Amino acid sequence: MSSFALPARQLNFGARPNANSQQQFTYQQQQQQQQQQQQQQAHGLALPSGSYQPQTTTTNLALPGPSPLSNSYTAPQKPTGPVVSSTSTNALAGPSSPQATTPVPSTPVPLTLEQQHITAVEGIVPTLQNIVATVNLDCRLDLKTIALHARNAEYNPKRFAAVIMRIREPKTTALIFASGKMVVTGAKSEDDSRLASRKYARIVQKLGFDAKFSEFKIQNIVGSCDVKFPIRLEGLAYSHGQFSSYEPELFPGLIYRMIKPKVVLLIFVSGKIVLTGAKVREEIYTAFNTIYTVLCEFRKP
Amino acid sequence: MASAYYEFYRGSSIGMALTDSLDELITSGAITPQLAMKVLQQFDKSLADTMVKQVKTKTTLKGHLHTYRLCDDVWTFIVKNPSFKMESNEMVSAPRIKIIACKNGEAIEAGKK
Repeated sequence: MSSFALPARQLNFGARPNANSQQQFTYQQQQQQQQQQQQQQAHGLALPSGSYQPQTTTTNLALPGPSPLSNSYTAPQKPTGPVVSSTSTNALAGPSSPQATTPVPSTPVPLTLEQQHITAVEGIVPTLQNIVATVNLDCRLDLKTIALHARNAEYNPKRFAAVIMRIREPKTTALIFASGKMVVTGAKSEDDSRLASRKYARIVQKLGFDAKFSEFKIQNIVGSCDVKFPIRLEGLAYSHGQFSSYEPELFPGLIYRMIKPKVVLLIFVSGKIVLTGAKVREEIYTAFNTIYTVLCEFRKP
Repeated sequence: MASAYYEFYRGSSIGMALTDSLDELITSGAITPQLAMKVLQQFDKSLADTMVKQVKTKTTLKGHLHTYRLCDDVWTFIVKNPSFKMESNEMVSAPRIKIIACKNGEAIEAGKK
């Protein structure tokens, strides 16, 4: 049940350290946001993270992406600041849980989860390594035309029914299908993913197709980090058998399928962790915070 | 059969020389244009086979890959500031080159399967 230990960790930062239900956590978050509002941005700047501004900007800019375009996004939307907090709440509660629809506190500058995590987990913040997004260009495409005229394109219909195209900035790869659907991989941030997707759409447009930029959605986020101590994977697998799969003869890492947030973690003896399956970056951070407490228990002596 | 071979070697200096000679022969009435076509097709085939089977010279190339493309089994590479290192350790460089790479010989047959 370690995955439910999360709120307790989070609360190290807040006022009340005992809450262990999502309800209370949300309340906590509201409290924090109110504090944040009172102190305005000075609070954020005082935190150890040197990257407060950029991170906030990132989150803000990335949010309009999935929200207005994708239908699957269910959290309540508001035009300004609160959007960030709505996502945070959503991420923590899980898209399927009733908490996702909790009214969002209307504070202009919510505390980003990342900052909380920096405080909570000894300066270790997972680094985003890959973001996979899909876009619908909403237009049938002649892949051969694209392959012939675009730069850095590969099209081998015998092998794979899509044009594989790359750009250098942001360094990404796109798979472009004849249906007009496109998959963009390799970006390191939500902004980069969106920017790259727009660039690919523009390239296709310039080749004479009536391509639109619709239904942009981040499908997967992968992060990684290092807890810098070795871990007893057998012990972890034994006591968290419900979530763990550890078959050292097949794969040297332990596969930990966290339920809340729904993230899969690969945990290695060395203390290196890979987190994948998240739809928003907060899920990565939350999952890491949750697992960190558990990992400390199974630290190799 | 002959159509399985690319015609790009006709643009090489040896191909140009052959084309010129055939032109002359056609103009002088020594051969028919049909025969000239046959010769050129044989040239395509022979050069492709020779390149695969007999040319063993190698060179290594370093540079910045500016653009690549794969379409219809033809790779195109535009390399900026390439430097070639020949087998004789001679170095050759250029500001920009374009490499067109096609399947040849058995690779064509393999690709059809």
